[in-house]
Amino acid sequence: MQDRVHTHTNGKRWTLDHPELGTGPLPITPYLSAEYFEQEREKIFTRTWMSTGKKVEEIPQPGDYLVLDLAVGKTSVLLVRDKDGRVRGFHNVCKHRGNRLAWNDRGACGAGLMCRFHGWTYAADGRLVGVPEEDMFFDFDKRDYGLSPIATDVWEGFIFINLDPDPPETLHQYLGEVVDLLRGYAFDRLPLSWSYTAEQKCNWRILRDSQLEFYHGKALHQQFAGKVMINKQQPSCHVLDAKLFRRHSMMSFYGDRRNTQRTPMELLMAQFGASFKTFPSARDMDRWPLGVNPTRSKQWFFDIYYIFPNFHLVILSPFLFVAHTMLPETVNRSTWNARGYFPQPTTAAETVTREYNKCLARDVWLEDGSTLENTQRGIESGVLSHYPVQDQELLIRHAHKVAEELLASDGQAG
Amino acid sequence: MSDTRLPEPFTDLEPLAAVWALATETERNQQRLSSTMAQIQAFYDTLLPRMEAVLTYLSTFPPEPPDTLPQEVRRLLYLALAMAEITTAVELHQQPSVPAGFEPRRFIPDHERGKGVGG
Ligand code: FES
Ligand SMILES: [Fe+2]
Repeated sequence: MQDRVHTHTNGKRWTLDHPELGTGPLPITPYLSAEYFEQEREKIFTRTWMSTGKKVEEIPQPGDYLVLDLAVGKTSVLLVRDKDGRVRGFHNVCKHRGNRLAWNDRGACGAGLMCRFHGWTYAADGRLVGVPEEDMFFDFDKRDYGLSPIATDVWEGFIFINLDPDPPETLHQYLGEVVDLLRGYAFDRLPLSWSYTAEQKCNWRILRDSQLEFYHGKALHQQFAGKVMINKQQPSCHVLDAKLFRRHSMMSFYGDRRNTQRTPMELLMAQFGASFKTFPSARDMDRWPLGVNPTRSKQWFFDIYYIFPNFHLVILSPFLFVAHTMLPETVNRSTWNARGYFPQPTTAAETVTREYNKCLARDVWLEDGSTLENTQRGIESGVLSHYPVQDQELLIRHAHKVAEELLASDGQAG
Repeated sequence: MSDTRLPEPFTDLEPLAAVWALATETERNQQRLSSTMAQIQAFYDTLLPRMEAVLTYLSTFPPEPPDTLPQEVRRLLYLALAMAEITTAVELHQQPSVPAGFEPRRFIPDHERGKGVGG
């Protein structure tokens, strides 16, 4: 197979393919301003499809539910599987006098969910089915007081919601090209294997940007990724491919895993299971989804898919991907959920290889995490009014443009 | 400290297990962070030559949940999981913690809280 690394990417500046984005520095205001954040809340987070970070298999049975407190939507979201197997979303708010309906993070509501205040009971499809002393109400019809629905849809098992009661487009329309590019990836075969959550005292964009470029790979993750990224023949070869969509984007990164010194534990892990750094068998590459290693390079490190506004998929191999879900809480607080999806161990030895991969991912994320609150403090100092953006940070530049367009819109987010 | 032994072929690793055979990632990570690099290196150097035999042995047992494993096998598994935990300290960071890293205590492992994640 032709290795396009050697023909196309050295010296290329992907940003220049998108003259509408310019090459100038980006403003700091969107990271700091409370007014700006309020605009984002109104025109982005309450109007676009948003990842919940959850997967359908987390609520496997009819009646199983999850609760997601969503400060940016000023609500609590109830995700529940109804008796027909469909995943539905509701405001977790009792329609009598507004009490919180489900109090646990997750649970099962076989016979229905009962409000603790006065005992109203709702079915998994949101219908109000039980009202104690119903005859004491006046001109009362239970059908008028079902739970308030939230638009909810599923892509490759990932649950998305849209707080717009009447979204102008379906989730699949919103995802656009990404659906086809990733169709066929093993999303349904790789179980959730580890998940970390961290509250960060930083603006959501700082968190978002931290996983949206890999310029930082050689420095922040020097030990893990530095050598993998070195290309002696073509020192400025970093990006194999970059695709900017209407809202979303992707970047495919160069990396030669043969450059890493194979450490003793890594060799053992590869012998008994799978290792992060093992290059997946190139033999099957032609059968990979079109969007995974789209240039079919043998020196492929990983792909980032950014689903605007709050979801990153990082695909490292046919048997390992990472999903980041980032949620703003306030202008300077955010929640970061980082998850690894990896094959289910079949022996106790594979439990060990999974642990090795988990600890490696965790330590790399701790490196990422070290920058977030420090960056927040740095920009709060007022020292920066703007910042320069290099070619490998193109997706950040694009994301700024996307947000600007939505903020400038009259509300018909599309 | 548990008085369960390790499986017969690995009884010589008992002193390591007494310190490192801990049931959860949080406990193993805390043990790593409260150890000196010399202690971590000694653990690594002692277990590494036996690790292939340990993994070969563990290959004959089902993965999880660990409480379905015989007690001494479970203890060996915990020891091997601790090896996975400290590997980055030895092979990447050359120190117990992630250099200048985010506080591990604030990076909450949901998978230990039964939030829909396999053991
Ligand atoms: S507020 Fe829920 S039953 Fe009254
Ligand atoms: Fe990173």
